[in-house]
Amino acid sequence: MTEILKINNLNYKKNNKTILADINLNIDSGKIIGLLGENGAGKTTLMRLIAGINSVPEGVITVNDMTKKSAIKQNVSFSDHLDGFGKSVKLSEIVRFYQNVYPDFSQAKYVEISEYLGLDETKRLSALSTGTRGKLIVALALSRETKLYLLDEPLSGIDSMSRKKIISSIIRWKDDDSTIIISDHYVTEIASLLDDVIIIKDETVYEVSSVEDIQEKHHLGVEEYYEQIYEGSVTK
Amino acid sequence: MEYIDNIPIYLQIKDILYRKIISNEYELGSQLPSVRQLAVQFSANSNTVQKALKEMTEEDVIIPQRGKGNYVTEDDAIVNKLKDHIVTEMFDTTYDKLHSLNMNDTEITNSFSEYVKQREDNHE
Repeated sequence: MTEILKINNLNYKKNNKTILADINLNIDSGKIIGLLGENGAGKTTLMRLIAGINSVPEGVITVNDMTKKSAIKQNVSFSDHLDGFGKSVKLSEIVRFYQNVYPDFSQAKYVEISEYLGLDETKRLSALSTGTRGKLIVALALSRETKLYLLDEPLSGIDSMSRKKIISSIIRWKDDDSTIIISDHYVTEIASLLDDVIIIKDETVYEVSSVEDIQEKHHLGVEEYYEQIYEGSVTK
Repeated sequence: MEYIDNIPIYLQIKDILYRKIISNEYELGSQLPSVRQLAVQFSANSNTVQKALKEMTEEDVIIPQRGKGNYVTEDDAIVNKLKDHIVTEMFDTTYDKLHSLNMNDTEITNSFSEYVKQREDNHE
């Protein structure tokens, strides 16, 4: 197994306030990993740093042997919440934008996924329900053919039917050797999807554990384990 | 898919597949769905499905064929053993529960035959 992501001594401050401190992480390729932490714990910041969107002020992030921010940015598929697009933009225009910006965007893959999720290209962004918008975000992210995907709270605020569809699209279209990191603060529903979880607490990586270990060694569900960590009643 | 939170998913998947084999939904010698199909069906990671299949292979219940996928064994002795095992597990739990109600073996046997008779009557 090769290492897809490596983070060494990452520190990140914003307006003099520590957001992330002493982050060290090694992720093997081929896995689906949950990035867990409460709101404001720094999950999105960490993803933006890994995706090469924010600059790394201190420490080193290596993605697939690349350390240059611009190279990483071209090779990591980070789910965009589409806030940069105008309300009246059509789905087909967003898809065209993705094709132009990302050379690894596969039109064929997008067609398959969007058909499966029931997305209508003629619709305008403003006309989409939260669930459909969530599907679009995941479809766009998965349509890039790359090795590392970062899905930032893809299920947050989404109805249960759409959540199920999104989860199965992730399973269907994940290549065996690609890696997906999914952030969430609500884990029970995606626990069956995950190999490992990264738990962010107190501005740092509190623990990396396989889901199986949590179930076998602690006899707890992931959600329960994670809650106990936050309450301080579980120690490593 | 509804899973029990604190039991490894691969064990739960293995258990479901074993029940399908015992109940003949997956017949002796038949081909199992692909890893990806099972993963979608179980809303689970393919690594997790692989792990369940690996244990099933080690237990000789399924046989992988290179490039063709996994096949259920043709040996009914293996499946019967599996069935005995699952039935014993079910009885274990029930027997222990009845014992904890202070019932002795004769009472347990009698009330079970009584129960089966009632179920049969309800069916008619």
